[in-house]
Amino acid sequence: MQTKKYIITLLALILSISAHCADKVQIQLWHQMIYSHRSVLANVVKDFEQDNPDVEVVSIYRETEELRSAFQSAAMGGSGPELIFGPSDQIGPFVTMGLLQNLDEVYTQEELEAFDPLSRVKYHDQLYMLGNSVGNFLMLIYNKDYIQTPPKTLEEFIRVAQENTIINENGSGNQRYGLAFNYTEPFFFVPWVTGFGEHFIKNDNIPNLATTSMADAFSLMHDFKEKYKIVPLECDYEAANALFKEGRAAMIINGDWSWGDYRAANVNFGIARFPLIEKSGKYPAPLVGTTGYSLNKNISSPAKKEASLKLLRYLTSEKIQTRFTKEISTFPSRLKIRETALVTSNPILNEASKIMETGRPMPVVPEVRAIWDSLRGLYQSVLAGTMTPEKAASEAQEKAEKQILQMNEVLKPDASLTIIYIVFAIAIAIGLFYFTKSLRKIVSDIMERNHFPYFMILPAYLGILSVVLFPFVYNILLSFSNFSLHTFENWNLIGIHHYIEVLTDPKFYEILVKTIIWTLTNVFFHVSIGVILAVIIEQVMPKKNIWRTILIIPWAIPQYITALTWRGMFNQEYGPINIFLHDYLKLSPIQWLSQPLTTFAACLLTNVWLGFPFMMIVALGGLQSIPKSVYESAELDGANPLQKFFHITWPMLTPVIKPAALLGCIWTFNTLNVIWLVSNSGEPADQTHILVSYVYKAAFNLYRYGYSAALSVVIFVILVFASLGANYINKKSTKAEF
Amino acid sequence: MIKKITSSIVILLACLFSIVPVLYVLSVSLRGDNAFGAKTLKIVTSTSNFDNYVKLFTETSFLTWLYNSLLVSFVVTLLGVTLAATSGYSLSRHKFKGKQFLLFSILTTQMFPATMLMLPFFIILSKLHLINNFLGLIIIYSSTALPFCIWQMKGYFDTIPKELEEAAKVDGCTNFQTFYKIILPMSLPALVITGLFSFMSSWSEYLVAAITLQDPALYTLPLGLKSFQSSLSTQWGLYAAGALIVSIPVVVLFIIISKFLVSGLTVGSVKG
Repeated sequence: MQTKKYIITLLALILSISAHCADKVQIQLWHQMIYSHRSVLANVVKDFEQDNPDVEVVSIYRETEELRSAFQSAAMGGSGPELIFGPSDQIGPFVTMGLLQNLDEVYTQEELEAFDPLSRVKYHDQLYMLGNSVGNFLMLIYNKDYIQTPPKTLEEFIRVAQENTIINENGSGNQRYGLAFNYTEPFFFVPWVTGFGEHFIKNDNIPNLATTSMADAFSLMHDFKEKYKIVPLECDYEAANALFKEGRAAMIINGDWSWGDYRAANVNFGIARFPLIEKSGKYPAPLVGTTGYSLNKNISSPAKKEASLKLLRYLTSEKIQTRFTKEISTFPSRLKIRETALVTSNPILNEASKIMETGRPMPVVPEVRAIWDSLRGLYQSVLAGTMTPEKAASEAQEKAEKQILQMNEVLKPDASLTIIYIVFAIAIAIGLFYFTKSLRKIVSDIMERNHFPYFMILPAYLGILSVVLFPFVYNILLSFSNFSLHTFENWNLIGIHHYIEVLTDPKFYEILVKTIIWTLTNVFFHVSIGVILAVIIEQVMPKKNIWRTILIIPWAIPQYITALTWRGMFNQEYGPINIFLHDYLKLSPIQWLSQPLTTFAACLLTNVWLGFPFMMIVALGGLQSIPKSVYESAELDGANPLQKFFHITWPMLTPVIKPAALLGCIWTFNTLNVIWLVSNSGEPADQTHILVSYVYKAAFNLYRYGYSAALSVVIFVILVFASLGANYINKKSTKAEF
Repeated sequence: MIKKITSSIVILLACLFSIVPVLYVLSVSLRGDNAFGAKTLKIVTSTSNFDNYVKLFTETSFLTWLYNSLLVSFVVTLLGVTLAATSGYSLSRHKFKGKQFLLFSILTTQMFPATMLMLPFFIILSKLHLINNFLGLIIIYSSTALPFCIWQMKGYFDTIPKELEEAAKVDGCTNFQTFYKIILPMSLPALVITGLFSFMSSWSEYLVAAITLQDPALYTLPLGLKSFQSSLSTQWGLYAAGALIVSIPVVVLFIIISKFLVSGLTVGSVKG
C-alpha cells in the first residue's frame, strides 16, 4: 500500500509542476543588456504592459554569445522570442539562416529617415534591425588624475604611457600601468590596423589581413608589451577593467558600455580618440555598431505578431529612447534627440560623437566571425613571440579564407550517400532481426514467470531511452548531412564527407593525443591523491569525519562556479596564486593563461581539484571492507607501511577503483566546462583544446553542425572501443566482471 | 611518530588546497566595489561588508530561483532513487536476456559529448510542448543521472549476501516484498548516496536549463547566477555571493549524510 501511495504522490508532484498556463498574449523579448541597463528596460516594459493590459512581456537576459546560439536552437525547434535585442553583428548569420523579419515592411520610409543610417542595419540591402543606440565602439579612456590632456599622436601616446608606467621598487610588479586593455582580443586590436592604412575587411565581406598595416599593427602591439612595457604582460577584459577602476592604469581602451561602471567607481575619467598614427596620417578606426531590435520571422499567431509590432514601435519610439539616453547616457539613434540638450550638453556624448567620426561601421556579415577567429589565433602567436608579424598576417589571411569557404560551403550529396543508405538499411534490418529475436526470447522468458526483473528495469530504461535515443539518432543523421549556416532550414543527407574531413585532419590527431594525455593525467592524479588521502584518513588520522567533510568541498560546488573561480585565481595581476608566489616565495608572477603549457596546467589543476574527492570517497568505501586481521598478521610478519600498502591495501582496492576510474576517464574525456571556461574557449591561439571543446567551437562558433556531429560520433566510437578494450583486459587479468 | 606527522602535513595541505578557492570566492563576495580582483590575500579587508548578500536577497529574484531549484532537484532525486533502486536490483540479482548488453549500454550514454545533445533535446522538447515546463527538465535530469545511479545501486546490491533473500523467500515473501522489505532497508547508505548524486546533478546543471527554461519566473539557481555575468560587465560581487549560497545546501547535505558516504559509494563490487 505504502509503495502505491508513494508512487501516486510522486506522479502528482510531477504533474502539478507541469501545469503552467497563460491567458494573455505573451511576447518574449530576449536581450543582452548589461546589468545596469536592465532596470531601465524593466521599467519601460512595465509601462507598456500598463498601457496594453492584454499583453504580457517576458524579457529575458542572455549573454551575447548565448543569445545567439539559443535563438538559433529556438528557431530550429519552431519557437523562440518574438523580439530580440542585440548587437548588429548577429544580423548576418540570423538572416542567412532565415530567422529574421524584413523590417522594411514594418516601417515607412519616412519613419526610418528619423534614424541615423548607422542604426538601420541592413543585410543584402534589406532592413533587419533598428538600433536603439549607436555606439558600441572603442575609444581611449584616460584617468584625469594622471593625464590632463589626452595624447594626440602615437608618439605622444607612448611617451605618456611610459611616464605613467611605474614599477614597484621592491620588484613586486607595477604600481601603475600606462595602458591596460583586453589586447589579446581582435576586436580591441583591429582599430590600430585601420590606423596604419588599410582596413581589415574589403567590400564588407572579404578578409584583408595579409597587409603591411596588419603586420605594423601586430608589431605595435608586441612592442606595447615587450619594448615599451606599457601594458600588463597578461591582461584580459576583467583585469584591465579592474586596473583602471583602481587607478592602477592611467589609460584604457574600452567601449561606451563601460562608462557607467567607471562613474560608479568614482573614477575621474575623460574620453578621447585613439592617437593619430604619424606614419599613415590616419586615426585608428574603432568599429561603430549599433544595438537594436529585430523581429522573429516565424511568429506563431497574428495576435502575437500584432502585439510584437506594437512593442517594437514602442521601444524604438522617441519617448523611450529619450528615457534610455537620460538614464544611462546611450547615444540615441534618433537624430532628433541628438539635437536636444540631453545630448548637446553632455560633454561625454559630445566627445563620443567626435570619436565616432573616425570609426568604421561594424561589419554584419557572417564571414566576420571567421575573420575574428582566424585573426585571434595568429595574433596571439605574435604576442607570445612565436611568429613574426608578416608571417602571421599572411597566415591569418589564408586561414580566414579557408574558414569562410568552409562556413559558406553547401555540400552536395556524393556517391557515398548511396552506400550510407545501403548501410543504414542493412543496419536497420539486422537491428530489427535481433530486436524481434530477443523480444521473442524476452516474451517467452516473461511467460515463464520470470517477469519480475523486466518490470523492475522497465521504467528506468524507458526514461533513458526516451531522452537519449532521439538525440543520438538525430546526431548520427546530422553527421552525414550538410547542416550548416546556409542550410539551416533545409539540410539533407550528403554522405561521409564530414567523416573523411575529420579523419584526414592532422589537427584531429593532435587534439586526440592531447585529450588522451589530459584524461590519463587527470585520472592518475584523481586516483593517486584520492587513494593516498583515503588511506591516511582511514588508517592514521583521528576525527575522520572532519577531514572527510573538508576534503569533499570541491565536489559539492557546481562546476561552472569552480571553473570561473579558478580562472580568477590564475589571473596574472590579481590572482591569489601569483600574489602568493610573490609575497611568500618571492617568485616573479607567472603568466598562467597566455602560454599553452601553463594554461593546460591551469586547467589540469582545476580539474584535479574537482575530481579527487570522488575517488577519495570510493577508496574510503573500499578500505572499510578490508578486514583488520589482514593488517595485523602482516605486522606480525614485520611488514613496513609501504609494504602493507603495496601488498594489501592496493590489491584489495583495485576492484573498487577500476570501475570508478573507468567512469572517471569517460567523464574527464568529455568534460567541457573546465577547459572552456578556464582557458576562455581554447586560448591562447586555440592551443588549449580537447576534443569536446573543439566540437563545441566548431558547432557554435563557426556553425559547422554537420562536421561537429561527425566528430562527436567519432568521439563516441573511440570511447566505446576504449571501454570495451579496458573491460576485456580487465576480464582477462582478473576474471571478474566489472 | 614520523608517520603521524607526515600524514598530518599531507592532510592539512590537501585541506588547504580544497578550501582556498572557496575562501577566494568568499573574499570577492564581501568586497563592496564589484571588483573581481584585489592585490591582497586578506579575506576580510577594511572595505568588506555584506552588501552583496543583502542585495542578493532583496533586489534579485534569488528566492524564486532557490525555490525552483529545490523543487526540481527534489523531484529528480525521488525519481532517480526510485528508478535506480529497482533497476539496479534487477541487474544485480536476476539473470535475464540481454543483461550484459543493458549494463554496457547505460554506460555508453555517458560517452556522447553532451553539448551536441542540446539541439535535439530542444527540438524534441518543443515538439512535446515541454519548453518552459519543469516536467521536461525533470525527465532529462533524471535520465541523465540514471546511468551512474544504476551502476552505483547495482554495485551496492552486489555486496549484500544472497542468503538473506533466500531466507525471506522460504518465509513466503514475493520477489517484490523481498526487495522492498529486506533489501531496501539494508541499502540505506547507497540510496542516500544515489539521492545525493541525483540532487547534485540537477542542482548545478546549467546547459539544459538554459535551453528549456525561457521564463525568468522559472529560472533555477544556475540560470539566475549566470545572469549576473555578461561578457563585458559582470556583477562579480553578486555572482560570488550567489555562488557561495548555492554551494551551502550541498555542503550541508554532505555533512548530514557523511556517515553514509563511505559505506554507500560502491561503483564496483568488493570481493572481500
